[in-house]
Amino acid sequence: MDLENTKAQMRKGILEYCILSVLSKNSCYASDIIRELKEAKVIVVEGTLYPLLTRQKNSGLLSYRWEESQQGPPRKYYELTPEGKTYLEDLDKSWDELVESVNLIRSK
Amino acid sequence: MKITVSINLGGYSFNIDEDAYSELKLYLKNLELHLADEESSSEILSDIETRMAELFRSRLTPYKQVISMTDVKEVIAIMGNPEDFSDGESSSRKAKFYTPGPHRMYRDPDHRIIGGVCSGMGAYWDIEPWIIRVIMVALAFAGGLGLVIYLILYIVLPEAKTTAQKIEMKGEPVNINNIKDSVKKEFETVRKNMKL
Repeated sequence: MDLENTKAQMRKGILEYCILSVLSKNSCYASDIIRELKEAKVIVVEGTLYPLLTRQKNSGLLSYRWEESQQGPPRKYYELTPEGKTYLEDLDKSWDELVESVNLIRSK
Repeated sequence: MKITVSINLGGYSFNIDEDAYSELKLYLKNLELHLADEESSSEILSDIETRMAELFRSRLTPYKQVISMTDVKEVIAIMGNPEDFSDGESSSRKAKFYTPGPHRMYRDPDHRIIGGVCSGMGAYWDIEPWIIRVIMVALAFAGGLGLVIYLILYIVLPEAKTTAQKIEMKGEPVNINNIKDSVKKEFETVRKNMKL
């Protein structure tokens, strides 16, 4: 067993959930998502985010629009689709259940 | 003194040191390979390039206008190695990289005289392209058959544009080390041309 590997696996599992949660508040530019994820320490290398975002977009959980920016080329703003919102609600529930289960086991 | 290269990354133009450029190019090639199986990989790549451009811009000031090797290394450290961010399926993908690659015929634009048909055939069969050229020319005089063959092949064969295709053309397995070698070779040629 490799501790670092286990930790990385745990983070990977919740990363998808975290991205959707960040976007549930308002639509975001990829770099804003990265900042939040970094503050929360759920992401180590930034490259991880982009394949996930595109996969979530392809499966219909996210959509994006182009927005003009004063500093350079237009930026991609991601937001949750209605489908993404229900998906997130489901994940919220299962996260709560998971936390409960883990706490139950640890407190015994 | 150092030579700089001018590049377009994510819609911004940058001046970048020659050595830093080859490092960056290598990284992006590596990334492209790892994402090759991903749906909409070009979209992911361009998103990553946009982000890297942003990170580079934050490192430039009116007093520092050229991207150095240190900048490239730092930005790569922030973005991470492609090995780190493909998901669980990546192990099967990685295995794929080290199996012998496909062997396809392409037109070889790097050694072409006209359209790269003969050089492409030479690369495919690993023989000197001039042997094929001589045969072609001979056939061209024999009632124009060579011209017809050449034209058909020119239309049918795609040009080897990417590094991966150039490696496929020679039938070598497409893996990171091969890509590294050919990118280095390509880079050396560019440098030689610039000095002339």
